[in-house]
Amino acid sequence: MNLDFLAVAPTVAIVAAVVLLLMVDVTFKVGHRWWGFAAALGFIGATTASVWQWVEHRGADGELFYSGMLSVDGFSSFAGMVIFPVAGLGVMAGWQLVRGVGKRGAEFVALAMVAASGAHLMAASADLVLLFIALEVFSISLYVLAGFSRKGDGADEAALKYFLLGALASAVFLYGVALVFAATGTTSMYGAQSFLDATLILRPGVLLAGIALLLVGLSFKVSAAPFHVWAPDVYQGAPGGVTGFLAAGAKIAGFAALARVLVVPLGGYIDDWAPAIAVISAMSVVIGTLFAIAQTDLKRMLAYSSVAHAGFIMTALVAGPAGVADMWFYVATYSLQVVGAFAIASVVSGALTGKSPLSDFTGLAIRSPMLAAAMALFMLAMAGIPLTAGFVGKAAVFRAAIDADYLWLVILGLVAAVGGLFFYLRVIVLMYMQPSAEGVPAPRVPLGAGVAVSVTALVTVVVGFVPWPLLDWVRAAIPL
Amino acid sequence: MDFPILSALIALPVAGGLGVLLVRRDELALPLSITSSLVTLGGAVWLLFEFESGEAGFQFVEKSTWHEPWGVGWHLGVDGISLLLVVLTAFLFPIALLASTSVTHRVRQYMASMLFLQAGITGVFLALDLLVFFIFWEAMLVPMYFIIGIWGDERRIHAAVKFFLYTAFGSALMFAGILSLGFLVSDQLGGPTFDFVELLGADLTRTAQFWLFGAFGLSFAIKVPIFPFHTWLPDAHVEAPTAGSVILAGVLLKLGAYGLLRFNLTLFPEASVDLVPVLAVLAVIGILYGAIVAIVQTDIKRLVAYSSVSHLGFVVLGVFALTTQGLQGGVIQMVNHGLTTGLLFLLVGMIYERRHTREISEFGGLASVMPLFAGAFLFTAFASIGLPGLNGFVGEFFVLIGSYLSLPGYAVAAAFGVVLAAVYLLWAYQRMFTGEITVEANRGLGDLNLREKVIIVPMAVLIVFLGVYPKPALDIIEPSVDAVLERIEEKTDYVVPEFGSTTDIAVEVGE
Repeated sequence: MNLDFLAVAPTVAIVAAVVLLLMVDVTFKVGHRWWGFAAALGFIGATTASVWQWVEHRGADGELFYSGMLSVDGFSSFAGMVIFPVAGLGVMAGWQLVRGVGKRGAEFVALAMVAASGAHLMAASADLVLLFIALEVFSISLYVLAGFSRKGDGADEAALKYFLLGALASAVFLYGVALVFAATGTTSMYGAQSFLDATLILRPGVLLAGIALLLVGLSFKVSAAPFHVWAPDVYQGAPGGVTGFLAAGAKIAGFAALARVLVVPLGGYIDDWAPAIAVISAMSVVIGTLFAIAQTDLKRMLAYSSVAHAGFIMTALVAGPAGVADMWFYVATYSLQVVGAFAIASVVSGALTGKSPLSDFTGLAIRSPMLAAAMALFMLAMAGIPLTAGFVGKAAVFRAAIDADYLWLVILGLVAAVGGLFFYLRVIVLMYMQPSAEGVPAPRVPLGAGVAVSVTALVTVVVGFVPWPLLDWVRAAIPL
Repeated sequence: MDFPILSALIALPVAGGLGVLLVRRDELALPLSITSSLVTLGGAVWLLFEFESGEAGFQFVEKSTWHEPWGVGWHLGVDGISLLLVVLTAFLFPIALLASTSVTHRVRQYMASMLFLQAGITGVFLALDLLVFFIFWEAMLVPMYFIIGIWGDERRIHAAVKFFLYTAFGSALMFAGILSLGFLVSDQLGGPTFDFVELLGADLTRTAQFWLFGAFGLSFAIKVPIFPFHTWLPDAHVEAPTAGSVILAGVLLKLGAYGLLRFNLTLFPEASVDLVPVLAVLAVIGILYGAIVAIVQTDIKRLVAYSSVSHLGFVVLGVFALTTQGLQGGVIQMVNHGLTTGLLFLLVGMIYERRHTREISEFGGLASVMPLFAGAFLFTAFASIGLPGLNGFVGEFFVLIGSYLSLPGYAVAAAFGVVLAAVYLLWAYQRMFTGEITVEANRGLGDLNLREKVIIVPMAVLIVFLGVYPKPALDIIEPSVDAVLERIEEKTDYVVPEFGSTTDIAVEVGE
């Protein structure tokens, strides 16, 4: 058994911080400053551990640890380098919520950290069973977080809906795991890979059904159409402070798992699953864009836009292993934009409330120029306008798809991106081109949200101007 | 390495824009931005004099690779086709900024947007890497969108969104085209590349050329705009603030024609030759349709906007005439249109600042209270119509000669556009300026003030200069357009008709 502390260091860091947080909190009742300190400790520790793994393992063949359960390679360590900072920023952006729920704030922070750890394990697991466990650790934390404010306006409904549909998706995923096991005789991803490479399956029906079920389960997690129906209600109902974390985390973890499952065990069957991915991608892009146009609530609009973005990200996966780097680039930059945009929504409309009607943003440029500028930046980035990270992300995924001869998907995606301008521009029009309502005070920006917005906006611009280092890095983030 | 003057031309306005944003004093915004744009103009003029006239290739080239796996890099260069347009851009911006004194709210953001816009436009003209070209092309939309949407007239939001969506739709297809082009050639050129000069070395199949011509061409056609993609233009022009209209008409529309000439003709020569009839028909329709619609406008700004559709039709006709004279005429007509229509929009803006209306019927007999203004308007109208001795004549004359050589029927039809131009502009002049004063509110209007004279005089000087002595400009343009035509002759079996070689001219001379 290959035991290595570094392989589990990110998880250990998070779990240690969670335990410390809860024990000290129970014993000494030190309040939210201590929670923040413990969370920072955990996230920084986990990020550092991931960077260390990255330095040690990127570019080399993946190493398996703990009876082939965990894989440490460029892929998993890069996932950690994205997940932990993004989760940290997400928690920071939601700090008003943490303070607003009183003593339960400690639970919130602990759950968010556990969710982040689960997300990272989803990217690092080399065994379908561990992947399922990680998925559940991640999802169950999120179910609780989605209803955390316990306020009447939809949070309960959002949490319950998320839980019921999420549980169904998990069951579907698990059935997929079972069918793949039935077809290959192993739950190890690398074991399945070598089995499938060496064996010609004459009747692949069971395996193909397994692939289909795995796809459905993970498509649900990343809110790709037609498995997206939970997203708008959950995004809108969940309290403002947690939505960014929830949205970004689900995308990163879901796509990390999807990429590894598709590329490693099922890599030889790319001709079977790539068309399915292309269809899901096309549907997500079209449905997400069209429904987003009709929304009057910012968070609901961003939910549909995230469906479209799930489609854009999947566009890269039709290229198989060659598209994983491009997928990572998009996921990493998009998750930051999501955290930033939802942080602004929580500042403008309140961190404990669910709804964030677009009218709240009318004339924001007058009341709060910096906030409006950052929001405009995120909207333009999500729309894929050049000199933002969003443009490079779209260029990356479309480049991968064109290389894989999926030109129709690229053209569809580009046209949908133009359709997306309808609703992204509407936010800018409201903020910049409509007069502010009389007597509405400028929103007060809490420190945590301010930091989160500044960092995410800065990265979005810098990566938009100089994307080359990140583009080089993600090329080492492929599961080998 | 030489001083990277081209990068500096892009960086200077950006620096100016950032400076305006950082200096938190509204009263300093105008002086700062004008200084910045004048320094840029200085650089552009230096470029104009240092440029080796008579050379066909790119000069002042800057090249470095950014990201090897994508084949993308910073590659700038200027040749006879782009040089005058770069100088025109640098020239129009200080003037447009000086004409922006009526902007009173969010002045710093306005000035910064204008300067960022300048950087974007200059970048489009200079970029020789298709991906970088596209970045400038798309990024430029954002400041223009804000300029129309924040500082425009009542229906500004509608116009701004329409402008953005139309252009973005075109660019989406162009982006797909650029990406597929980059990968299509990767077998021939050893890896994907977006470098324009390298792409010229690749051979594309006929089918690929047609698809790519369509993808690029649609985007450029929307920008020009070629009939029937012009419907965004009147809205955007009319709702934009004066300076916005000047820049839109003056340089933004040229980007489309420039793109057709620079990329479509050279990268897809076979498709270009085959599609000449289509584009020539659309160009002539644009010329006549724009002019006829201009005649019936009751809003003077809308009239000028539609006249742009007509004038840009001449540019497209010249470009797709595929003769030396036609291409030369097309390029010089772009510059001329930038000057004359820019000045017309400035004049319209001046009268609008006085009366806050642009309805032609609200005016009448203005010549008696504003003689200088009336003179300037008449002068510009004549330049726009193409009176010999003024710049408009040179461009239209060359376009008509050039297109007569290869497309005689179209040239004849297009010539009516000149007549119609006289109708709509002179009729508008007559209704607005001649006769008795019909509306009492106009009686007390003041004539041109010093600032307005400072705006008008340099443009008028250039209009006369290019009308009387266009040779230096034509000399700059000729080698580069000849190189384009040589490339077309080399890649296809098209033969450029020589001046005086067509039989019917010979017959006429013989009789």
